[in-house]
Amino acid sequence: MPEQLPPDDALLSSLAARDLGALAALYNRYGRLAYSLAYRILGESEAAEDVVQDAFISAWRGAGSYRRDRGNPRAWLLSIVHHRAVDILRRKTTFRPAPLELAESQPSDEDTALAAEKNVEHRTVREALEALPQAQRRTIELAYFGGYTHVELSALMGVPLGTVKGRMRIGLQKMRRALERTR
Amino acid sequence: MTEHVQDELEAYTLGALDRADAERVAQHVGLCPFCRKDAAALAEVVGTLPDTVTPRDPRPALRDRILAAVRSESARPARAGSRPWSFGPMRPSRVALAGLLASVIVLGAADIEAFQRMTAITAQRDQLHGLIESLRQGGREWYMAGKDAFAGAGGTLYDPRAEGKQPFVLFHDLPAIAPGKVLTIWLVSPDSTWARAATFQPNGQDIQAVRINMGVSGFDRCAVTLEDSPWGPRYGAVVMESRIAPPTTAP
Repeated sequence: MPEQLPPDDALLSSLAARDLGALAALYNRYGRLAYSLAYRILGESEAAEDVVQDAFISAWRGAGSYRRDRGNPRAWLLSIVHHRAVDILRRKTTFRPAPLELAESQPSDEDTALAAEKNVEHRTVREALEALPQAQRRTIELAYFGGYTHVELSALMGVPLGTVKGRMRIGLQKMRRALERTR
Repeated sequence: MTEHVQDELEAYTLGALDRADAERVAQHVGLCPFCRKDAAALAEVVGTLPDTVTPRDPRPALRDRILAAVRSESARPARAGSRPWSFGPMRPSRVALAGLLASVIVLGAADIEAFQRMTAITAQRDQLHGLIESLRQGGREWYMAGKDAFAGAGGTLYDPRAEGKQPFVLFHDLPAIAPGKVLTIWLVSPDSTWARAATFQPNGQDIQAVRINMGVSGFDRCAVTLEDSPWGPRYGAVVMESRIAPPTTAP
């Protein structure tokens, strides 16, 4: 009989109670995903590891103030990773966006999509993203993985700010509907 | 309450707002149940984006590094009482009485009595340490190291455990700043939201204490920036910053 793993919420409660075992379990569960996300944003293994370390230490310190209504523990942890990585990315570029072409030549996941295809849930998300019109998909990817603000994207893509906002809104709405259909 | 921010929620949840806008939206979302509900729904979708990333393995040592850092942090309060205290890189000979008197002015009435006691002590840092310990009563502390033009300066943010005691920062060796400029102390949350905690100008003394007018719970870093304005979002350069990870050796 497989071992029953504690749910994320229980891990967060244990973390708030200063249980190191819960931190280890949380890392076992999300360390790889957290690192993959940080690496995707920063493109450097050492910087990505530093971000993951900071994020887990922040989770350790902040577990007591975690609020469920702001997202599930996984989303909470990954949002810390994302914020930290983007923060570093923006600082590295002194808040000046790199040329759009450069950002788009950052490690892409196209070539290694097969690895993600093995996981059904991941495949569903990937398909939902890939199903978007290119402009919506690019806008979402450059914002989330590229660290661009919507104002920067407007300038770089040469479209009004309202268009950038619209692409984000419609793109995320479509993704939501696609994900809901599969649940 | 501020205006609704539905127009910016997508960019907010994607992390595509600049810091000032993100703080403004976060503040509104914290107060507005309608926008919070929309933001939560969007965050659920955005939260799936990491699943589109190619899985990669970090080095196995990372797990041990994280656990060791947390273990070290957890052990620190127990050691704090026994290890020799220091002001970080501050030179003990510069623990000047004049600076301590200046601290009284900034800290305010609640701690005046405690700080007046400082006037009775000499520069021996062990004695000063004892006084600070009595103020913070085992609370937390972060050391911020100065950089660039502030190299050699620093500040320790103390978060007293005792109820009613406000957090404060004890700076040392602050250099003069240009007229019209101010220094701002920021508290930084795990999601990198920067909250303005206090604004001040160096008083020219070796030591300067500045009171923090807000609780530090929920924040895990602090920093000081050089600003043109005593209010509004952060624009200036960071001149001091605390470490996120605990230092490997005592500060």
